[in-house]
Amino acid sequence: MPVTCHPPQVTRLLLAGVILVLAATDNRAQSNVMSHANDFTSVEYYPAPNQQQIRSRLSGAEAQPLPGGLLAIKQLKLETFELNGRPEIVVNAPECTYDQLNGTASSPGRLQVQYQDGKIRVEGEGFLWRQNDSFLTISNRPSTVLQFGPEKRN
Amino acid sequence: MAVAGAGMLCAQVNTNTNAVDEILALVTTNASAVKPPPRPETLIEADGPADFDLAGRRVVYHEHVRVDSPDMKMRCEWLAADLPQTGGRVTNIVAETNVVIDATDDKGQKMHATGDRAVYVFNVQNGVTNETITLTGNARLENTQGWLTGDSIIWDRANDRLSVPSNPKMVFHQTLNGALAGTNAPVEGTHPPPAATNSVANDTNVPPALTNRPSAAK
Repeated sequence: MPVTCHPPQVTRLLLAGVILVLAATDNRAQSNVMSHANDFTSVEYYPAPNQQQIRSRLSGAEAQPLPGGLLAIKQLKLETFELNGRPEIVVNAPECTYDQLNGTASSPGRLQVQYQDGKIRVEGEGFLWRQNDSFLTISNRPSTVLQFGPEKRN
Repeated sequence: MAVAGAGMLCAQVNTNTNAVDEILALVTTNASAVKPPPRPETLIEADGPADFDLAGRRVVYHEHVRVDSPDMKMRCEWLAADLPQTGGRVTNIVAETNVVIDATDDKGQKMHATGDRAVYVFNVQNGVTNETITLTGNARLENTQGWLTGDSIIWDRANDRLSVPSNPKMVFHQTLNGALAGTNAPVEGTHPPPAATNSVANDTNVPPALTNRPSAAK
């Protein structure tokens, strides 16, 4: 049974390789309720005229629905891309809560960020990702390692 | 004004002159011809949140921000840096509030700088690399040779020079001319005694003159 979601306008929710455990199979549960999904992916595209270009991709190994249109995602991987298709940032977190309506992902747990193929690496605890304006806040103890930057002159 | 050492030089001009440039060059962390080592890693940490604005290509750190690299440490309360394009590097960093920079040059000479704001800029124009750190707001720079203040202090890292565009004031701990400065003070102190000796001599002349009078009366 297909799963219907209502993500932000530019976002599509794909459930590839879906394993759905539908409550409909259980007489005690309501129908059309997604209780669990694997290989969750949500893609956001650049606005026109670059609407074919992926701006961000949010994926997870598991997605568990929560009240209020939320999804509890495990093994989150968030990727953003430049307009030319080059990878920009990769965020990994053991778990997060994805708000489909507002296009946000958040977690009180740890996260790891790689920017530009790891030339900038960030770790921290607690984060909020706003998909609409590509804004990531790391709440606590952000630690950034630059492999370039202010360079020693000799 | 407490200054270690005997020598002291204060320069206070409104424009950057060649003379000031030369003096400033003395306290600059001079370069050597050694080939630069591989780029070191720089660690940025903060007690508060960090905001990554990917659309605006900018990251902002809040609260007790620490920047540590092998040759430089910086502390401040707020720091913003641009996020480079692919293949690029950080080209602009702004640090604000209680900025403290401790740097060590390739000779191991330490430098300590403070200010309200520091701006790092890197760019390459027509094949020329420009890399500067500009301190403003109670800007002060100190090393083993002395200290320097001004409305702003510009550390040209590409050319290893310091400049103070306005209101520069510098005090350096003199080493080469220290002996001369120490000798001058006693010389000034020896002038009064000869003056005192002259007055005594004048007084001595009076009695002989008086002595002549009785003789004339005879």
